[in-house]
Amino acid sequence: MKKTISLILVAIMVAIFAVGCSAEEQSDFDTSEIINLVSREDGSGTRGAFVEIVGILEKDADGNEVDRTYEEAVIQNGTDAVLTTVAGDEYAIGYISLGSLNDTVKAVSVGGAQATAANVQDSSYAIARPFNIAYKGELSSVGADFLNFILSSEGQAIAEEEGYVQVGEPVAYEGSAEGSLVVAGSTSVTPLMEKLSEAYQKLNSGVSIEIQSTGSSAGMQSAIEGTADIGMASRELKDSELAELTGQVIAMDGIAVIVNKENPVEDLTIDQIKSIFVGQSTEWTVAE
Amino acid sequence: MKKNSLEGFMKGIFILSALMSVISIVLIMYFIFAGGLPFIFEYGLKNFLLGTQWKPSNIPASYGILPMILGSIYVTIGATAIGVPIGILTATFLAKFCNDKLYKYLKPAINLMSGIPSIVYGFFGLTVIVPIMREFFGGTGMSIATASILLGIMILPTVIGMSEASIRAVPATYYEGSIALGATHERSVMKVILPAAKSGVLSSVILGIGRAIGETMAVILVAGNQPRMPKGLFKGVRTMTTNIVMEMAYAADQHREALIATAAVLFIFILIINTVFLIVKRRGEN
Repeated sequence: MKKTISLILVAIMVAIFAVGCSAEEQSDFDTSEIINLVSREDGSGTRGAFVEIVGILEKDADGNEVDRTYEEAVIQNGTDAVLTTVAGDEYAIGYISLGSLNDTVKAVSVGGAQATAANVQDSSYAIARPFNIAYKGELSSVGADFLNFILSSEGQAIAEEEGYVQVGEPVAYEGSAEGSLVVAGSTSVTPLMEKLSEAYQKLNSGVSIEIQSTGSSAGMQSAIEGTADIGMASRELKDSELAELTGQVIAMDGIAVIVNKENPVEDLTIDQIKSIFVGQSTEWTVAE
Repeated sequence: MKKNSLEGFMKGIFILSALMSVISIVLIMYFIFAGGLPFIFEYGLKNFLLGTQWKPSNIPASYGILPMILGSIYVTIGATAIGVPIGILTATFLAKFCNDKLYKYLKPAINLMSGIPSIVYGFFGLTVIVPIMREFFGGTGMSIATASILLGIMILPTVIGMSEASIRAVPATYYEGSIALGATHERSVMKVILPAAKSGVLSSVILGIGRAIGETMAVILVAGNQPRMPKGLFKGVRTMTTNIVMEMAYAADQHREALIATAAVLFIFILIINTVFLIVKRRGEN
């Protein structure tokens, strides 16, 4: 009896190893396969920035805008879902915020420039967007001090630590303030803003900062209406918003174009990415 | 005197509890329709229900939800085709063929199925069913078929539970009469008992349909969510529920209203399904 059980166990183990081997052998990448596009949902700040920079968004003289993202693209409503989908599908391509990139997928170079913070900073990596904050009129003293902190070397070091790209030439922070602030806007900027406010409150115990994660457009609206002291946006500010608000770029974020690790493609041009995402090129032969 | 006031007080509490669910359903209806109807009138009922383009980021934006309505219907039909036969046969087995020893394990297992959060089903679908479908049928593996299989599994506890109860509720005399006339056990169960339990089984199917059409978190992970007219069994699809969840977080202004209006349409679908359920149930009782 014992003998049969152990025999069965050995058989199962052998079977598992055999399966493991055959799976490894199958990793040959077939470039004639269909590209499986993964995109984000309408309204997402990442999608908005991506389609605009890559040129998928088509504008005409009458102010009409058409997002031409290929209609067969799988839509996932979050960075993690895009990551999981691309990590699990050999022939998939997607895009996520550079700060969220991890080693379950591979980021392709765009026009020869690798997706790194340094390349975003010197503008050689083309798909990048600003993280903006905006305020109406004059900032309160605590608001101005917080803005100083964000742009200081301490604040920008935090941004860099989180995987974003610093802006300007920061100087050391010196200052102090007391009071309270309400910051509202982009869900993409919120994680960075939380780290910044945490560090700032450590230096200035008399300050309380409330952060509301409501979305870029809603954040600008709150700043205009005065329900928030500072609004956050993960895109360029629109002209209508700039008419009412003063904007300030606090960091840059690259958008990484990601493929499966099995995919041999290393480099794509902006035009290739565009033609893939509007559905003109549907097979991986485009990258050869 | 004291006893009477306590009596009255408790009576009030009981009535309040009973009214609670009615009040919430009225409030939900009010807010969904108050939020959704103005948009529908402004955009046009026909454009909204029969429009085939859902492109909220375009200027001018288009908000046609026909792809999502069809998506919900197709996925639900698929789930019914997979879940209902399995469910009814399982219920028959549990009620009439299963020995006690096996029943002791099967029944709790099925009950457990209904307790599993739908996001867990979704991850199961994403990590198990999607790769298998991709292997066999190509493409992304996220399709109407994948969503149907997953939903078919998810509606099993609903179908099995109610069907089994209604099969057990058939008077024993039916079975005994059939056996006495010389029919075998199998024949008696399939030809006498199951038809007699028809209305209960049908109710369970309708409840299953209601569950399938309202399911969101599991479907969002395996359906692909392309907002275009459904193109085939092995192509992706977006349902009304996933459309709402997917875009609500970032939606503003008219886009947001369009999503609430989608919820209103979904609500009407659920109302229709529940009305049919009540009619079938009432007919069965008479």
